[in-house]
Amino acid sequence: MTYTIRLNVNGKEHTVEVPSRRLLIDCLRYDLGLTGTKEGCSVGVCGACTVLMDGKPISSCLALALFADGKEIVTVEGLAREDRLDRVQQAFIDYGGFQCGICTPGMVVTAKALLDENPDPSVDEIKEWMMGNLCRCTGYYKVIESIQGAARRKRQAGDSDEGL
Amino acid sequence: MSYGKIGQPLGRVEGPAKVTGEAKYTADVLLPGMIWGKVLRSPLPHAKIVSIDTREAEQMPGILAVLTAKDLPDLLIGRRVYDMPVLAKDQVRFIGEKVVVVAAEDPDVAEDALAYIDVEYEDMPAVFDAHEAMKPEAPLLHPDYRSYAHAPEKFFSDIPNVHSHVTWELGDIEKGFALAKQVFEHTFNTPAVHQGYIEPHASVVAIDPDGRVNVWISNKMPVRARELLADVVEIPQERIVVHLAQIGADFGGKGSLMDAPLCYHLAKRTGRPVKMVMTYTEELMAGNPRHPTSVFLRTGVTEKGQIVARQAKVVFDSGAYAAFKPVPFVNIPGAKDAAGVYGTPHIRIDAYSVYTNCVPSGHFRAPGDLQVNFAVESSMDMIAEDLGLDRLEFRKQNLLKDGDWVPGGPQLEEVRVAETLAAAVKASSWNQPKSQPNRGLGLAVSHRLIGTGEANTQLTLKEDGTIQVLTPVPEVGTGAHTILQQIVAETLFLPLDQIRVETASDIFKTDSGSGASRVTYVGGQVVQQAAGELMKLILAVGAKGLGCAENEVVFEGGRVVHSDSDGSLSLAEVAKIGGDGKSALRVKKSLNLSEGPPVTTFTAQVVELEVDPETGQIKLLDVVTAHDVGTIINPLGHQGQIEGGLLQGVGFGLIEELRMEDGQVSTLNLGDYKLPNIRDIPPLTTVLVEEEVGPAPFHGKAIGESSITPTGAAIANAVYDAVGVRFHDLPITAEKVYWALRQQSGGKG
Ligand code: FES
Ligand code: FES
Repeated sequence: MTYTIRLNVNGKEHTVEVPSRRLLIDCLRYDLGLTGTKEGCSVGVCGACTVLMDGKPISSCLALALFADGKEIVTVEGLAREDRLDRVQQAFIDYGGFQCGICTPGMVVTAKALLDENPDPSVDEIKEWMMGNLCRCTGYYKVIESIQGAARRKRQAGDSDEGL
Repeated sequence: MSYGKIGQPLGRVEGPAKVTGEAKYTADVLLPGMIWGKVLRSPLPHAKIVSIDTREAEQMPGILAVLTAKDLPDLLIGRRVYDMPVLAKDQVRFIGEKVVVVAAEDPDVAEDALAYIDVEYEDMPAVFDAHEAMKPEAPLLHPDYRSYAHAPEKFFSDIPNVHSHVTWELGDIEKGFALAKQVFEHTFNTPAVHQGYIEPHASVVAIDPDGRVNVWISNKMPVRARELLADVVEIPQERIVVHLAQIGADFGGKGSLMDAPLCYHLAKRTGRPVKMVMTYTEELMAGNPRHPTSVFLRTGVTEKGQIVARQAKVVFDSGAYAAFKPVPFVNIPGAKDAAGVYGTPHIRIDAYSVYTNCVPSGHFRAPGDLQVNFAVESSMDMIAEDLGLDRLEFRKQNLLKDGDWVPGGPQLEEVRVAETLAAAVKASSWNQPKSQPNRGLGLAVSHRLIGTGEANTQLTLKEDGTIQVLTPVPEVGTGAHTILQQIVAETLFLPLDQIRVETASDIFKTDSGSGASRVTYVGGQVVQQAAGELMKLILAVGAKGLGCAENEVVFEGGRVVHSDSDGSLSLAEVAKIGGDGKSALRVKKSLNLSEGPPVTTFTAQVVELEVDPETGQIKLLDVVTAHDVGTIINPLGHQGQIEGGLLQGVGFGLIEELRMEDGQVSTLNLGDYKLPNIRDIPPLTTVLVEEEVGPAPFHGKAIGESSITPTGAAIANAVYDAVGVRFHDLPITAEKVYWALRQQSGGKG
């Protein structure tokens, strides 16, 4: 049984025909070719597949594509604007927030949602929020520094640059 | 010494691609007409295959091919010894072994078809423990192991199921024990642990109409992968192109072909590009985890507390196949560190690698080192206590010194273990009075020799004046490409953005790839030498262009300048003039180092922790990691290696275990197989004991496999200090501590 769903991904409308059991991650990666979203554990533990659905981080490996019908999805491909990296992305580069980079799409998307909600998180708040994102390379220290760095830069820039 | 590009905390060259999702990993490769392969795995640990019936699956809509061993060439594979079938033929030897492969347009359809395949098995006696497997009555897994291609004849053994027995000796062990006043014996065990990279193995194969075989594979040694694939699918290497994708971390676990041969056979059968991606469950049941290991130590000590003899028997559970071991002796190199960082005149170490009906084991960051270090450093505390000596003083008294030999290594120079240990102690609360009950301090020290092997590069001056650095080493996450860029920029006095590091595997015939902490050392030297030679070419061609002699030009501000006149040429102009016959200015270089430098790198760690006596929960209060380092080429990457390795060490000490029961892995997803998360990180202090003495370019040393090694032992020693319970097995989970404390109080009461 296939269904037609409409979803907005990174500001673009898509209409896709999917079987009922199609997972959102496969819909994004294979139907739409957005392979920035990664699959690690496939059971909702590692966070590599995190995307924002109506602004909230979800594990796209657990969600059926059908659930995304009529929703707004943001993936890692949707964070940068016209060749300008999002502040979170730039901070992950500058502070060494990744090595192999496989967890990074999920990390930056989750961190972006955190800073949207809480522009000045404490270390404990960062840990609490990022708990569902595993990284085997960095030991997380530089992930925390990256998020703090992004928050600091945002504060320093004030309202001058539309949240980028 | 001060440098321009060396020592800068630079973000990675591939950083923007990784944070935007543009970076392509093997599983991200999408090709027109691509189909999916899925495998049916054995549910039994040891059994004869009586029959396989695939007819029903073949008839299913959407199924494009179903292959069994009889459809493939009758060949075995392995990273060194060829002992593993691509698909099981007459028998299966572990739960999870591949038996049938299916291809379909849709991965779910391929997966569904597996349920319709009928395999009839006949149970065979199985053995799940390496010590059991070494007994005369044990079933033999590979009665013909001596006949396998690349089996290491020099290391054969008559002990059942031992496929490699390696011995390292220094001095005369008998004499050593004769000198000893007291002899101690201890045994320690560690379980299988998974590398825990977040990217499961993936492979893609597409065969062009002209027969060219395109391969994408999560493999850190693409040149070697091409060689191995050519062998097992019986085509000439020249027809294979390995395209380098990003690798979602390796930690030693991604050096095999994994599913690439199956992709090839399916692609050949169907005429379509084929992708296979393991699920994480498949990773955990049939990846290539760290070897479950038991270490028996016998230590002879003089009256004055001097260690004079060390005998070690290290037993590695290879699992069903030795195919994932890369080194020529098909054993685990870390065993040679069984004397630790202590100058011991008489040493004998025996390492046995043993077949069992468990998951085949492979390499994981500092292979063997962690297992052996846990044993050595735990025993140091135990011996000190028995002798009534302070555990720090006992260590200090026995530390390696300049001129000492280490088993399987060189005679050491520039030994800085005492300084490293002192630095760790100083940065910790070691010398403060014990603060509270149930709190404890532990320390452990390790060393790691710098890796050897072969590295290659090709440097080309491009017409736009940039330098292209081709390397066959993929970026596995260690920052190798950034380091190569820095070294070339520094050598040529050019800005970083004028150096472009790119990957290519097909222009090099052989290469060791990434691993063994070798990239900065061997790979760094080869690009440094090539850059030097390229500079000579640039100056020669520049001089010709300027109409003067070679000794009249210098390289200044990125230009070739005639020192007597105002004449100068940019690199782009030099490139356009070109070499003989207008050829591109290019240097291709290979470096093969079979012997390591006479220096090693030391790590000392102090762990402070608290044990909750009610629950057994361990809380790490403070970790100090001190490293003996040379010039640090990229501090950001260097510190990242330390931090990441350390948390893996914490996982090994406290959390991780691939639990197995009768060969069946029971931790089959990342919910059950716990990796440390962001809330598990301890407060960390890093101390770098710096001196410009390393053998790598610009006096660098290696770091990748350092911080992971002593953490397990430091934790175990701290737990003992806190609550007086000695653990001989890792990981030290809350549950184990809880029961041990119950037993302890029961014993007392
Ligand atoms: S892949 Fe979705 S949480 Fe791991
Ligand atoms: S950077 Fe490799 S898993 Fe996070």
